[in-house]
Amino acid sequence: MSGSLDSYLVLSGLLFAIGSFGFLARRNAISMLMSIELMVNAVNLSVVAFGAFVPKLQTYAAVIALIVIAVAAAEATVGLALVIAIYRNRRTPLVDEYDAMSQ
Amino acid sequence: MALVPLILLFPLLGFAATGIFGRSYPREAHRFAMAAVIASWLVASVVAVGALSHGFGFGDHGAGITLWRWIPAIGFTADVGLYVDSLTACLLLVVTTIGMLVHVYSLGYMAHDPGRWRFFSYLNLFMFSMLLLVLADNFLLVFAGWELVGLCSYLLIGFWFPRRSAAVAAKKAFLVNRVGDMGFALAIMAIWTQLGTLNMQEVFAKFGAVPHEWQIAIAALLFCGAVGKSAQFPLHVWLPDAMEGPTPVSALIHAATMVNAGVYLVARANPIFGAASEVMVVVAAIGIFTAILAASIAFTQTDIKRVLAYSTLSQLGYMFAALGVGAWTAAIFHLMTHGFFKGLLFLDSGSVIHAVGDEQDMRKMGGLARKIPITYATMLIGAIAISGLPPLAGFFSKDEILGGAFKNGFLWVWGIGFLVAGMTAFYMFRLIGMTFWGESRVDPEKELHIHESPPSMTRPLILLAIPAAALGLAIGFPPETGLLHQWLSPVFESTIAAGGHAEAAYNFFGIDGALAIATTALVAVAIVVAWRLFGVEIPALRLRAEARPEQVASLSQARALAPLYRGSAAKWWFDDLNDLLFVRVGGRLANAAWWFDRTVVDGTVNGIGTVTVGTGDRLRRIQTGHVQNYALGIAFGLIAVAIGYLLIVR
Amino acid sequence: MPISDTIPFSGIRWDDVLFLVLAAILIGSALMVVTLRDIIRCGLALTSSFAALAGVYVLLGNPLVAATQVLVYIGAVSVLILFAIMLTQTKNAPTRLAFQTQAWAAAIAAVVIAVVIAATVTATTWPSGGQRLWTSTSDIATLLFGSYVLPFEAVSVLLTAAVVGGVFLAHREAGDREEDQL
Repeated sequence: MSGSLDSYLVLSGLLFAIGSFGFLARRNAISMLMSIELMVNAVNLSVVAFGAFVPKLQTYAAVIALIVIAVAAAEATVGLALVIAIYRNRRTPLVDEYDAMSQ
Repeated sequence: MALVPLILLFPLLGFAATGIFGRSYPREAHRFAMAAVIASWLVASVVAVGALSHGFGFGDHGAGITLWRWIPAIGFTADVGLYVDSLTACLLLVVTTIGMLVHVYSLGYMAHDPGRWRFFSYLNLFMFSMLLLVLADNFLLVFAGWELVGLCSYLLIGFWFPRRSAAVAAKKAFLVNRVGDMGFALAIMAIWTQLGTLNMQEVFAKFGAVPHEWQIAIAALLFCGAVGKSAQFPLHVWLPDAMEGPTPVSALIHAATMVNAGVYLVARANPIFGAASEVMVVVAAIGIFTAILAASIAFTQTDIKRVLAYSTLSQLGYMFAALGVGAWTAAIFHLMTHGFFKGLLFLDSGSVIHAVGDEQDMRKMGGLARKIPITYATMLIGAIAISGLPPLAGFFSKDEILGGAFKNGFLWVWGIGFLVAGMTAFYMFRLIGMTFWGESRVDPEKELHIHESPPSMTRPLILLAIPAAALGLAIGFPPETGLLHQWLSPVFESTIAAGGHAEAAYNFFGIDGALAIATTALVAVAIVVAWRLFGVEIPALRLRAEARPEQVASLSQARALAPLYRGSAAKWWFDDLNDLLFVRVGGRLANAAWWFDRTVVDGTVNGIGTVTVGTGDRLRRIQTGHVQNYALGIAFGLIAVAIGYLLIVR
Repeated sequence: MPISDTIPFSGIRWDDVLFLVLAAILIGSALMVVTLRDIIRCGLALTSSFAALAGVYVLLGNPLVAATQVLVYIGAVSVLILFAIMLTQTKNAPTRLAFQTQAWAAAIAAVVIAVVIAATVTATTWPSGGQRLWTSTSDIATLLFGSYVLPFEAVSVLLTAAVVGGVFLAHREAGDREEDQL
């Protein structure tokens, strides 16, 4: 099982699905960001899995994974800073109370 | 010949000038109109003399002049052109003379009306329209004049428009006219499609080549128009109501000029009618039926102007009957004499009404002979003329019609016409009796103010009485060889020759004399009966009899006569029939159509709008403003795309 | 003496066991992240999932990425998230629903996504060699600082920008202090 690419990919898909559920279903903005991190990690996992099993992609996969980790970290930073800024304005971290753009 | 456009130009300018300056100078503006109509009369007289004498370049068949090209479209051209021949000349004389006298009369009659300038401008417009109709050389221009005349009659009948009955009568006149005009318009279209030209002389020349069914159709449609304009059955209902207008209007439009437009049209288009002899029978039938219908209604009318209106209808019926039996010249002769004596009678009635303080009901008149002598004398002359007693004008013209009918084989036309002659005499002398003779039934307050009319009103009366008395002798005697026949023979000869009804030589000691004597005898009997019932008072002839209202009443209630009396008084229920058919039933149809338009048509259009708005409103709720809802949408879309790809492509 | 490939007395290979354990921890922590009501516990579960993921990376023969995962994610991102949670706590948290009204639809969507991915993945034949390969760090370094040095530098600029932006966004104005607001 650990020697087949399919299982890692299925694992990655499962993790992605869980992340998307969390993104769509949670009310707290920070929960949404955490779910986004899960999804990014799922993708990263699948990239690294490809790198491990497909000889041509070995080093490239690793490079991709590193850069993705860096970028995801940056994105998390900015996202959380935003959430904090909005929290200061609205006094609530719950996204369904950020409704200034609806009619 | 170059003078002819001036006949039209003067009234047009008069209309414009009076209209423009009338508001600022209400008491003086009518002078433009007066000057215009007098100038037009002078020019028309000159032109008419030229045309009738066949000299001055007019020739036997008249001459035409084209003013300009009106519609220069490819495939359809129409010019503005004028055509003058003897027939035109006769009409010109009648129209301009009576028109001018009516204008003079109106100076006095409308002296106290603040809208006098408007009245005169409309009168001038009317003169222009009628002259345009008479002078036009193509059917389209005649139609233009025709419609304009209808418009002017609307404006003038409804002149006192604040009065509801006047406004309604004007509308009625216009609408009923419109029905006839539709027929005329269809006739013009038919002529165009069959002949490719609308110029009347060209049409007459080529008419023989048209297939016979089309000939009948064109003739019938033209007659439709004439029926509307000249108020024949069944479109006669507007004429009596048109009495709502001022009396000079009644005189001008409904006795002397406008209603003659129909007669003129049929006479002018005599080649068309000659080719469609079936339609001629219809013309005669409708004409003589209208004559007796109207005469029967005139028996029971109490408004003096209504009696004269029905009398006009009746005499117009005579004219159409004459046209229908092929006695063309007789019809025009009667048109001319009728114009003069009916115009005289109407203006007289206006004078009477003026004298008794705007009272029109004859039951409130009586005994006026001594008080308004000039009016009385001229009206008596008019009454004798219309009754057809020799040697006044009506005798000659009516006799020619009846003689023509009898000799051309239309015995039924002759028979009914014979009866109507008697009826005419009866109701005219009923009118005279109730108005001028006997005891005075005038309202006591108004009785104090009975006065003869001012000279501006009485002079036209006297001037009209002269031709009413003498015209018959002047142009119609000797019968069938008199001046009028000489003038008009070129106009009608081709039709008469084609019809085969060559007018036999007049023979007083033969059938013609017998007919004339018979008619005169009936008329005399009718007059005597009228005298016995309604009284008479002619000191000069030592005739004196009392009116017998109780005998009149008992006659009207007699078992045999009562239904006739009621029918006559109710105008034979034609107005009620029209009201039922067109106003009630038509009204319901119109309401249904309106409902359909509102609910279905507008509903559909509005419904589309409502649906759109509703849909937009509901769709708007997708925009919740919450990012997660949008993200869910994205997720579902992604799933759909993925599954679709997997299923379809794989 | 080298450890045998399989667990003694059964044919199960160590790798498989390791994989299953790590996968279980990963999925379990992920589920806790998305379902727990108390958000601090969610953050901690997230950290544990990162750790499990690093283990999986090692299993895939990529220790450099695993180390980076631990350093960056567990060391920085998790801390950041926990700080943010603490800064945005409300007094009445967590009392009412943690889930939106659309949670059921989201669940269905998630399940469908998982199923679709799983089905697709297992149905495809990948050009895999069938063996896990060990990636050498020097190869990665050669690639990263050699032909891909531009993306590397760009990422560093991006990080700088992110830091600056984050500081700017989260900076409190002078009159913004909690004591001054009520």
